[in-house]
Amino acid sequence: MSVKNPQFQTEESNRARVWKPKGRILGIPISLMAIWAALYIVASAVPALPVPGMAGMITLNTIMTAISGMILGPAAAIANAAGGIVSMLLFPYGFSAGPLGFLTVTMGGLVAGLLFANKWMLAGIAELLILGSWFVNPKAWDTGMWMVPLPYSAIALLVIFIPPLRNWMRRSILTLQKGWIWPAVFLMCCVGHSAEFMTTNSMTNWLFNLSWQYWVPTLPYWIGVDTVIILISTAVGVSVMVGLKKARLPQFSDSLGE
Amino acid sequence: MINLNQTAKNSPLYRLDGRSKLIGILAIFILAIVFSHPFYVLALLVIVMLVWWIARLPFQIIVDILKVFFVIALIILLVQVFFYPGKINLVRLSDPIKFIGFNGYLTLDGIGFGIAMVLRLFVIMVSAPLLVMTTPLPDLMVALVKLKVPYRFAFIMTTALSLLPSIQSRSNLIQQAQLCRGVTDFDSGKLWDRLRGTAGLLVPLILGSFRDSQTLDVAMSSRAFGAPGRRTFLIESHFSLLDDLVLGLSALLLIGGVTLRLLGLGIL
Repeated sequence: MSVKNPQFQTEESNRARVWKPKGRILGIPISLMAIWAALYIVASAVPALPVPGMAGMITLNTIMTAISGMILGPAAAIANAAGGIVSMLLFPYGFSAGPLGFLTVTMGGLVAGLLFANKWMLAGIAELLILGSWFVNPKAWDTGMWMVPLPYSAIALLVIFIPPLRNWMRRSILTLQKGWIWPAVFLMCCVGHSAEFMTTNSMTNWLFNLSWQYWVPTLPYWIGVDTVIILISTAVGVSVMVGLKKARLPQFSDSLGE
Repeated sequence: MINLNQTAKNSPLYRLDGRSKLIGILAIFILAIVFSHPFYVLALLVIVMLVWWIARLPFQIIVDILKVFFVIALIILLVQVFFYPGKINLVRLSDPIKFIGFNGYLTLDGIGFGIAMVLRLFVIMVSAPLLVMTTPLPDLMVALVKLKVPYRFAFIMTTALSLLPSIQSRSNLIQQAQLCRGVTDFDSGKLWDRLRGTAGLLVPLILGSFRDSQTLDVAMSSRAFGAPGRRTFLIESHFSLLDDLVLGLSALLLIGGVTLRLLGLGIL
């Protein structure tokens, strides 16, 4: 029986034992993402706002998508996608885009999460891709169709591409700056929600070929609905961010080291 | 919430592998997008109805779906009927109203396209329950993993599913606690009160659940989540002859549909 070099033995045994920990994705524990997905599914069953002209109601998951980016960072896209897919299987009535319905909440979490992680270039590209998917459709070249994505997508683009505004927003949320946190969370919710609803609008337009005669007259109504959603999301978002900090519970900002 | 249907348990569709059903539903969805001619989409709907009948699912569910999507289907139909740029005029309704883009006529193409779009919505909506009501969710998750969906992503979905009952009961508990404090009923009451109640429900629900996630994280780490080695599954899925038949039919339909579309058929 040959005696091996002790040094070599240690390295060999180390090599066998060392494995890449897989309990986190993009800095967020998988357990937290699973909890978020479960919350998302439960929220899909709780109606928040009855909306005429839409399938059923706006459910609480819309609010969760808007705030997911600042809680989970870019991992919000994965958690939202998981929650979205399962909700789609459990409550298929709520997704008029069929099997692709989960993409809307994924994009909402992705854009807001990337922006909160200060990956503004990627967030900008994702937002521009969403807007591009709207404008590539020939229906979007008709009268007044350029106005449809304008209200909140314009705010999102300003936040993403203007450094002082972006930095102030992130700083205010990360430090929970009293007074300023409300407008900062409002802007973050605008980013998340606009990415979600523009993906939905774009998919609806590609699937059902709706013309400007539908989109333009109903625009004020949809702006009203989106405003209400963003305002509720802001109230929930501020309370959750403050609560997470006070209770020292895990969140994306822990992985930033700020 | 839609659950596994009991009558569907004796159907051939129930015995199919989750992967075959997923691929079949995806094929139907792609074909629904590919075609925009009412006859072609109607043919697709007939196929879906036939599968529905084979699955022994109650047709009452379809009526429920129709009720939910009635308003949006009506909007889609009216927009297309009045504003689709058709060429074959049927009835003259008025003089052209240029500022709303109405040429004054009801066109055959407009009516056809409107019906096709409503049928498309209907096909998409009716095909999804076919999968959910005939497949237990754990089987569906195994099917996703077998279809090479990353394991960690499938794990998030299965864990979320298993956490559902506890989060739902927590949600009910919070709602009752808020009701005791005078917050309005979440399912009725004035809009503003319900909006106020939303924050009162979501905030404690999120914070309480996040606290639980720490326990779950410790449990996962102590069981060496992500350790190398071959993973085994409690539920194993296998293709049968019926699965091969379904997959073959789906492929045939898809290839046939795309070929027809490339030949310029099936569109208005």
